[in-house]
Amino acid sequence: MTRAHERHRTEDPAGAPAERPRGVVTREVVRALERALGRERVISTPEELIAYEFDGTIERGTPQAVVFPESTEQVSAAVRVAHRFGVPVIPRGAGTGLSGGAIAAVGGVIVALTRMKRVLEIDAVNRIAVVEPGVVNLDLSRAVAPCGLYYAPDPSSQRACTIGGNVAENAGGPHCLAMGTTTNHVLGLELVLADGEVVQVGGRSRDVAGYDLTGAFVGSEGTLAIATKIVVRLSRIPEATRTLLAIFDRIDDASNAVSAIIAAGIVPSAMEMMDRNIIRAVEPVLHCGYPLDAEAVLLIEVDGLEEGTIEEADAVDAICRRHAAREVRLAVAAADRELLWSGRKSSISALGRLYPNYYVLDGVVPRTRLPDVLRQVYAIAERYGFAVANVFHAGDGNLHPNLLFDEREPGVTAKVLEAGAEIMRLCVDAGGTITGEHGVGLEKRDFIAWLFSEDDLRAMSRLKAAFHAGEDYNPCKAFPTHKGCGEVTQAQVQRTAAAIGTDIYV
Amino acid sequence: MSEAATAHRIGEFVAVISSSAGLQVTSGGTDAYAVDGMLPDVVVTPVSIEQLQACLSEAGTRGLAVIPFGGGAHMGLGNTPAAYDVALALGRHDRIVAHEPADLTVTVEAGVRLDTLQAALAQHGQFLPLDAAGDGRATVGGVLAANAQGALRHVFGTARDWVIGIKVVQADGTLVKSGGRVVKNVAGYDMGKLYVGSLGTLGVIAEVTFKLAPLPAAEATVVAACPSPHAAATLLFAAHDAGLALHAAELLSPGAAQVVLGDARWSALFRVAGGARAVERTLRELRALAAGMQATCATREPASVMRAWHDAFAPRALSLRVSVLPSAVPGAIEEIESALGGASAWLSSTVSAGLIRARVSPGDDAHGLALVDTVRALAARCDGALVVEAASPSVKREMDVFGPTRTDFAIMQRLKDELDRRRTLAPGRFAGRL
Repeated sequence: MTRAHERHRTEDPAGAPAERPRGVVTREVVRALERALGRERVISTPEELIAYEFDGTIERGTPQAVVFPESTEQVSAAVRVAHRFGVPVIPRGAGTGLSGGAIAAVGGVIVALTRMKRVLEIDAVNRIAVVEPGVVNLDLSRAVAPCGLYYAPDPSSQRACTIGGNVAENAGGPHCLAMGTTTNHVLGLELVLADGEVVQVGGRSRDVAGYDLTGAFVGSEGTLAIATKIVVRLSRIPEATRTLLAIFDRIDDASNAVSAIIAAGIVPSAMEMMDRNIIRAVEPVLHCGYPLDAEAVLLIEVDGLEEGTIEEADAVDAICRRHAAREVRLAVAAADRELLWSGRKSSISALGRLYPNYYVLDGVVPRTRLPDVLRQVYAIAERYGFAVANVFHAGDGNLHPNLLFDEREPGVTAKVLEAGAEIMRLCVDAGGTITGEHGVGLEKRDFIAWLFSEDDLRAMSRLKAAFHAGEDYNPCKAFPTHKGCGEVTQAQVQRTAAAIGTDIYV
Repeated sequence: MSEAATAHRIGEFVAVISSSAGLQVTSGGTDAYAVDGMLPDVVVTPVSIEQLQACLSEAGTRGLAVIPFGGGAHMGLGNTPAAYDVALALGRHDRIVAHEPADLTVTVEAGVRLDTLQAALAQHGQFLPLDAAGDGRATVGGVLAANAQGALRHVFGTARDWVIGIKVVQADGTLVKSGGRVVKNVAGYDMGKLYVGSLGTLGVIAEVTFKLAPLPAAEATVVAACPSPHAAATLLFAAHDAGLALHAAELLSPGAAQVVLGDARWSALFRVAGGARAVERTLRELRALAAGMQATCATREPASVMRAWHDAFAPRALSLRVSVLPSAVPGAIEEIESALGGASAWLSSTVSAGLIRARVSPGDDAHGLALVDTVRALAARCDGALVVEAASPSVKREMDVFGPTRTDFAIMQRLKDELDRRRTLAPGRFAGRL
């Protein structure tokens, strides 16, 4: 048994291993990358690099080079160069992430997968597709639609985010209530390891013998390896879909309706809740019919056989009314359903109408704890003096409180981060977790200790060691580390990639 | 280690852990804890996590080999152990820790029997959508460690899709956890995916949190007898494509159909389940589809049919699991059935998952080996793979039951090294003899 990899392990605080110092990206490294990939696939001037300092958060980091490989071999070549010089590698998709995962926290080489965007194979009979990591989520569903299929995980950023990024974060979306998250739809991967080696994990079936490295890789936030091919499971487009909008005068009634629907044995394909501040942001712009005086609306979708959706929609309607819904509207035609959804999908981008800046949070609590957790979220926001707009996946307890502020106000960004941390702690104390779909990334590493002990984290570090991915492989992500991770720039203006459009991120 | 040295260490081990209150230590001399014909020296039955930890820690420091045991229902899976000193019986670690019906989650200790759990959940109209073919002995920990699968695979995937949190005792006795108690959680690595299907070689599963599903409002079982496996498969694919309300959709070979249904013909077995209207629609459509293919269609009593199916496909004699693409199932199942002796073999396929289960009594070991070789080659020709789920010890000794390793094996080896350097846990049992 070789112990050569031991130096890559994140050790007990008492004894840091003797690792070689983190490499710096010099001109020599850049030239090596250019030789390996061709100069047209490498950028390294400050002007070109600026766009890659950001993602969907307020985090910021400056890479010294960004490479744009167009094949597995090129990814491997780039990674081998970085490995040789001991410099950090940061995989990056579309850069729409909400936890700082694609940020070069301590510099290094960003490996951007955006040029690898081919759908390599569609096998409709077997409901499988093989894609490169840069394929945009919604583009995949569009590509397989002619076969009556779609790719189920639908994060709200799906017009921009990539499958590779989805895999790294185990992305969810509104429809993961019934369909599961990314990890339930990935069958196999081709991976480039930290030393450039290429391996296959999983396959075209869920029954490949051995340890489930595919399952362990999904959600590993780019800290283990780079996925260069992804085998995904496709789903049949349902025969019928019905969307309901239930309007409530009290948030508790809406939360209780959610619980009652689950208790009735109904699992809708989506159950989303929006509060008064979200409604006030979206309705004047989109006119989807959300009443401005409502405290909360529930958007509930059921799908499947026509008869089944009628039966379920009737049941959902009755339950909502039993919980004091003042009105329940039903949409069946595609255009009507899209109008109802438009408000939900534009929730975050519409916040810009109310305030110059917003901070998107991502936490999960057991469904039954939603009412009292929400009350406490409002209380925390009020204590800090922030307005908060809540939109969330009510069906699985995944909340997205959005703290609204003006970053020009002195000291406000620090306060926002503090309020966010308190809300995260609230979720953990309620039996939940610090992230349902956005990832831990840079942002929440310090909160991991609320969930996992040193022993738990040490066991996880063994997985990183098994992949030969040391501390310098995508450093400062997902777990606390002992090497310096630089200062997160807290005064940085939040970038919201407005060029992408109104459909954004939660 | 010499026999005398091992005996000495085992004696020390027993002396140290016996002092722990309530911890049962018995001789391993009976067949109850045999694995591939090998008997352990001792059986230990902890009643708490602390005792479980102590057992592993004390065994590990003395270089003993430990194999965790649930109900023993799936112990046939895995390679012949490289060593076997201690059976770690988890049957008394069997509390339902917390069931939150309104959250659709449940947390259980690993020794809970699957059928006990299902009965408790049913009282709230819920279930864990995992069924393991076999008798009722199977424990939750065992089903997970073996990644045992039944007919519900059609719609509900595998255990990896339902585990949301897990606590494991590592080879050195450390208790570690990953995941949590909520259905969406991306904090930390998803270690649970690794422990499921690992046969206990990375850690002993102690406690699991699952997400649950509601029990269907209505159910029915429909059977269509077909002239050929291709006809049966066509019917199954059509039902799958129409999005009908099904929990299971199996293709049975004539031998299997005889045992399960009393009718020796290639058959499609549908377990219809869902809302009342959806079930009605599904029944109508199945009859229409079957009629369109000149297949005879009949409804059957669900519980007894599924019981017969589970009994038939319990691991026994020679049990094989072939994995191919769904589109390859009709051709593959016909060839495999023929190679295994036709009607004397029982085959059932979850066609939508490309999974073909086969049960056959091979007579003698030479014949058994030959059958395995033949089926492995057949599977390979269909770009698929074979796992031998049960076989006689002498047949198993001749092979890696999991088939050839692949490009990611080095990672698996390193993972095993990282988590069980001393090879305390079920040494030699896993793929590549890890």
